[in-house]
Amino acid sequence: MRRRTLIIGGAIAAVTGVGAGYAAVEASRMRRRSSAALLGLVLPDLAGREQPLAQWRGKVVVVNFWATWCGPCREEMPHFVRTQAAQGANGLQFVGIAVDQAAKVREFAGQLGINYPLLIGGYGAIELSKTLGNSVGALPFTIIIDRHGELAWSHLGAVKEPQFSALVAKLLAAT
Amino acid sequence: MRRRLADPAPTGSPARRRAGLAIAARVIVLAALAVLAVPAARPALAQIPGAGPELLSPDRAFRLSARALDADTVEVRFDIADGYYLYRDRMSFRVEPVPAASALLPPGKRKHDAFFGDVDTYRGIVDLRVPLKHAAAPGEMLTLYAETQGCADAGVCYPPNPQQVRITVPAAGARAGDFVEPRSKRLFN
Repeated sequence: MRRRTLIIGGAIAAVTGVGAGYAAVEASRMRRRSSAALLGLVLPDLAGREQPLAQWRGKVVVVNFWATWCGPCREEMPHFVRTQAAQGANGLQFVGIAVDQAAKVREFAGQLGINYPLLIGGYGAIELSKTLGNSVGALPFTIIIDRHGELAWSHLGAVKEPQFSALVAKLLAAT
Repeated sequence: MRRRLADPAPTGSPARRRAGLAIAARVIVLAALAVLAVPAARPALAQIPGAGPELLSPDRAFRLSARALDADTVEVRFDIADGYYLYRDRMSFRVEPVPAASALLPPGKRKHDAFFGDVDTYRGIVDLRVPLKHAAAPGEMLTLYAETQGCADAGVCYPPNPQQVRITVPAAGARAGDFVEPRSKRLFN
């Protein structure tokens, strides 16, 4: 009987283990697929030029989904401008994807002196952000893609310091 | 257990069969639980560290309901969850098949926005009226289309959220009915 209990226990452990392993592999595959889809995107910039996101592959890419109609989004952008200026030379690249119209974004960008590319994603960008972990489709939503093109982090709401800068520094230092 | 090992019941005896069945049942139940745990565990594992605050979907944060007050007025209600607000100037309404005039919006609470200047916001329960350009027929089915935009105090904003709800115009001489919520959203949210 004890042996049978062991066998049953072992079988359950195996099933659970396989299940958990499968879930972990599946989650990682999902993230890879989503970040790969993101890096495969080509979106227009404020001048209407098509910009493939793949051009920043190999850098630590911070993709910020935002909109001019989103107060919390606009509030954190000066911080991104400063971080881009400080860490750009070390391989950090901010990219803003606006869930917005180009004319509105241009007006806003002019006011704020944004020093990183702003691309126009439209409302379709919200759906894309959902595949990257934006559970309710709200803004701002920010992700970090590491130098290998893997999704390293995602966050709904304004980024929090000092955690954000610490993570960026760690990813910049990683090879 | 020991007792049974020491004094095994003959194979195929009812007691033994029952014990075997009980174990089999337990194995099946536990295996099923383990299998069920896999999809349940998936969203948790798919979440990435730092995924942010627990937030409501816009349909839950800004609950829409509506009713036909009479043949030429639709009354719209937003039940806004605590910690969320809607922008007064970012609401639009449409009714089909009877065209609607501009909505009569109650004053909101003034809030200063660095980019847009002073804006009016709504919190809690907001009732507003959408007058129809001509009277609907008694008992007619109308569809109200609402588009709203709001934010959460937690520091996020939602993109414009389209919602729709089907309402019935009261019969001639009848009182206005109860507020109706969008059907699909009530079921699945």
